[in-house]
Amino acid sequence: MKVSKLARREAKMLLTLCMVDGLIDAPRARLVTGRLIETKPRQYVAILTHFCRLLRLETEKHTVLVQTAVPLSDTLRAGLEENLGLRYGKGLEYQFTQNPALLGGMRVQVGSDVYDGSIRARLNALEERFN
Amino acid sequence: MNSYLIFGNIAADLAQSGREVATTFGLSWPHFIAQVISFTIVALALRQWAYRPILQVLEFRRQTIADGISNAEKIKAELARAEAARKEIIVQANVQANALIAEARAAASRVNEVEIQKAVVAAEQIIAKAREAALAEHAKMLADLKREVGRLVVETTVRVSGKVMTLEDQQRLIRETNEQLAA
Repeated sequence: MKVSKLARREAKMLLTLCMVDGLIDAPRARLVTGRLIETKPRQYVAILTHFCRLLRLETEKHTVLVQTAVPLSDTLRAGLEENLGLRYGKGLEYQFTQNPALLGGMRVQVGSDVYDGSIRARLNALEERFN
Repeated sequence: MNSYLIFGNIAADLAQSGREVATTFGLSWPHFIAQVISFTIVALALRQWAYRPILQVLEFRRQTIADGISNAEKIKAELARAEAARKEIIVQANVQANALIAEARAAASRVNEVEIQKAVVAAEQIIAKAREAALAEHAKMLADLKREVGRLVVETTVRVSGKVMTLEDQQRLIRETNEQLAA
């Protein structure tokens, strides 16, 4: 669906209204969405579509996906959360998963940033060098 | 005057001699004259009906022969001219033929040279392409070999890593990644 410039600007303004201390406030976001559907302003479908996209991106920015080959100990988990909090700020949501395909090490994804220290990534890099 | 006298004496002497000859050989003038007339008649008759046609035939033959000789000479001269013209034509034909042969040889030489150059260029191109193909094939083989070695290394590492890595190794790797995040 093609979203006009005006709809983008409106969606961005709505997203700003939903932010509290740099984080998405879920009740506000629900309220804004409900009002938008209720009032049905001009191009409200396009605005809603872009608003959802911005919400998703903003949520992903604060979602940390941690993958390890073996279960993560509490000490390491606390250290990781501390380091990521220093780098990205507070309000991060963590999802810890176990992925044996990594063989070893850890893979951390925050939004579009990826920190891959797994053996699989190193082997992939090695294989790329051979190609 | 003296010459008349001399000629008169000579004529008188001749007449005397004639009379003596006639007396000696018994000449009879009537018979002699009759013989002369007969001879004259016969001579005229022969001249009219025998000599003249024969002379005409002879004249005709002489003329014919003269014409023949003249024609023969003309033919001979014509033949000589024709022979000269033939020789001239042959000479010109030889000259033209030699020129054509020389030109054909030069053209053939040029064509031959051009074809040789083309063949040399084509051969060089074929050699260059073959060399490039060999190099490309060699590079491809090396790349394939490298890729295969890489694949084998990775596959072997994947199979071995799960067996040789201890829990401490795993924790150490995680710590390293965490330290990189902190840096």
